[in-house]
Amino acid sequence: MVQAVRRIVIVGGGTAGWLAAGVIAAKHRSRIPASFSVTLVESPNTPIIGVGEGTWPTLRTTLSRIGVSETEMFRKCDAAFKQGAWFARWTTGAKDDGYYHPLMLPQSFSHINLVPHWLARDDGRSFCDTVCPQGRICDDGLAPKTIATAEFEAVANYAYHLDAGKFAPFLQQHCCEKLGVRHVLADVRRVHLKENGDIRSLETEQAGEIEGDLFVDCTGFKALLIGETLGVPFVDCSDVLFCDTALAVQVPYETETSPIASHTISTAQSAGWIWDIGLPTRRGVGHVFSSRHISVDDAERELRTYIGPAGKDLPFRKIPIRSGHRQIFWKRNCVAIGLSAGFLEPLEASAIVLIEMSAKLVAEQMPVCREVMDVIAARFNNTTEYRWGRIIDFLKLHYALTQRDDSAFWRDNRLPETIPERLQHLMLLWRYQSPWYHDEFDRIEEVFPAASYQYVLYGMGFRTEVEPQIVAGSANNAERAMRENIAQTEKLRAGLPRHRDLIRKIVQHGLQPV
Amino acid sequence: MATHELLNPQDHAHLRLLPRQGAEPHFVQIVPGEFVSAAVACPVLFSKDPATGAFYAGAALGLKPGEGALKSTQDRGGFEPLALQRDGFFIAEDRIAIDRSNPRFSETEGEPLFDSAQQPSTALRRIQRALRHLHEGIAQTAALVRELMDLKLIEPIDISLSFDNGERLTLEGLYTVSRDALRDLPDADVLRLFRTGHLQLAYAMTGSLNQLPVLAHLRNRRLADSR
Repeated sequence: MVQAVRRIVIVGGGTAGWLAAGVIAAKHRSRIPASFSVTLVESPNTPIIGVGEGTWPTLRTTLSRIGVSETEMFRKCDAAFKQGAWFARWTTGAKDDGYYHPLMLPQSFSHINLVPHWLARDDGRSFCDTVCPQGRICDDGLAPKTIATAEFEAVANYAYHLDAGKFAPFLQQHCCEKLGVRHVLADVRRVHLKENGDIRSLETEQAGEIEGDLFVDCTGFKALLIGETLGVPFVDCSDVLFCDTALAVQVPYETETSPIASHTISTAQSAGWIWDIGLPTRRGVGHVFSSRHISVDDAERELRTYIGPAGKDLPFRKIPIRSGHRQIFWKRNCVAIGLSAGFLEPLEASAIVLIEMSAKLVAEQMPVCREVMDVIAARFNNTTEYRWGRIIDFLKLHYALTQRDDSAFWRDNRLPETIPERLQHLMLLWRYQSPWYHDEFDRIEEVFPAASYQYVLYGMGFRTEVEPQIVAGSANNAERAMRENIAQTEKLRAGLPRHRDLIRKIVQHGLQPV
Repeated sequence: MATHELLNPQDHAHLRLLPRQGAEPHFVQIVPGEFVSAAVACPVLFSKDPATGAFYAGAALGLKPGEGALKSTQDRGGFEPLALQRDGFFIAEDRIAIDRSNPRFSETEGEPLFDSAQQPSTALRRIQRALRHLHEGIAQTAALVRELMDLKLIEPIDISLSFDNGERLTLEGLYTVSRDALRDLPDADVLRLFRTGHLQLAYAMTGSLNQLPVLAHLRNRRLADSR
């Protein structure tokens, strides 16, 4: 007699917990409640951390699968559009140094690699502007769609900036009212194990004992189940990514009609960088830095200088961060999703996308019975470890490419012993061949597509050798794609509304579902 | 420049009404009461108000902006959209306003708006009726859209037409009722849709798509004639 997996118990009610609940419950909707249950146990006392306010376009698919309304999300989560990131002063540190990492793919990306053609032209135009319209759209402060575009559909690819503190309750309401998720407000007092080492149940303060077949640890940095109970060690990666402290602050807009940036602004400092995320109601700004390279006082001074007079009396919140992840993510009948699995600096908004991907993997590969769970767990661990590795590589790439010499932080970041071997190999390869489509990346559902590597590499002045014959062979196609880009850029700049105006319209009129 | 005035027998005793002037628009808003007569002559589709994103219904009289209608009113079986009938007249609160700059108004030619007793003339009463039907029809459209949306029956339709001169027209931002989704409706929903009268409207819309190739054919012929 096999031991069926029917009772999923999620511990923790932050972004990770509710996203996991939504993704799993939506996927197994037809089995609930007859032969499947999703229970989320949340402490009534623990505050939600609310990781990063930046997301990836994957969230559109995730939310539409869960079945929430995009309009409602704009109304309830203070959401705004995100079309990429602007990295200022990362390459040389000069005042006018900056580049976009947009979310749209380069023109005709699946047909032609425009990198060698752009390099061969060497005409002074940025890579981003040569291959995609989104940098210009962001410069103009435009939204990525219009009020007549259906929910979750894009004219220009987009993700969201949102208030994570409002996002979790928004998901909670949907999960409980529409997806049949059981919500239990209770503090976990003890975790009971079976003789074989599996988790049998949670003993709670207010709701008695809660049994489960599969437990999802979304308890944040505490890692109650995966860490404290099952003892899975934490793999530190501060030798690669140096930032270990963040100072966060909420900055009000000057007026209610001040423009909202539709991209994340990331400005490099002397020993870290400052994020600047525009919501309709406020800006979320923070300084992520390496305390080994700068004192907290100096870091605070740099942040105050960045914000200017608007930040005069605003209180800063200090958040210690520990870069790294669990050695494995699924052990026995427990899988960690969210901060319990690990954390990395929010340079490319990887936190929420990783939650989505992990939850999707659990939902889709949901083990039918305990007997096959270890097989699924091994698969999950393999994929998830690969993803963390690729995120670490991609974040490190931003540092490894810098030419800044003005502080030990930037110099240390280029030391070969701080650069993962795989990334070193890729950087060697890219000196002769540019990354494209599926060249380097063999897995489906890569966290960052090859296009992202192109935008960062060539945004930061990286040079790939170009063989003239190769360029000549596809010159006509490249020419056409670049012309197409100019035409599309003009069309979009003329037709898209201002970012704040569209958000106001969405809140007022709503987007249609089709 | 539009100059709006509230219509009244004192100021407008001598005003006269000519037939609508100028080319017909290629796409004109219609209301559910017009669906059946419109659908036999031209495609009836949904589009979105660019200011609010809200759906409205319309009849495609032509295929390209600026080119006007492809069929005459007579070829349309006499179908004349209310929105065109009332051209120059508007509802302002509970009164009628007119746009004096509209060329159909004249002091010398056409039918008078008021009779000698300062009562609305036959011509004006016809306009009043059109305005009333339009006004009521907007609310009926909203109810229709609401029910069709609730049943997930509205779907975008991409219309791409090639013409003999090599031109390719893509009509964007149009929506219709999904035939498949209609067919898959549970019985209870079908019955409700029938009782509200929306089922007939839905089928009028799907059937009217047959008019697309007819319009394309007419346009092809027109292109050939003008060569």
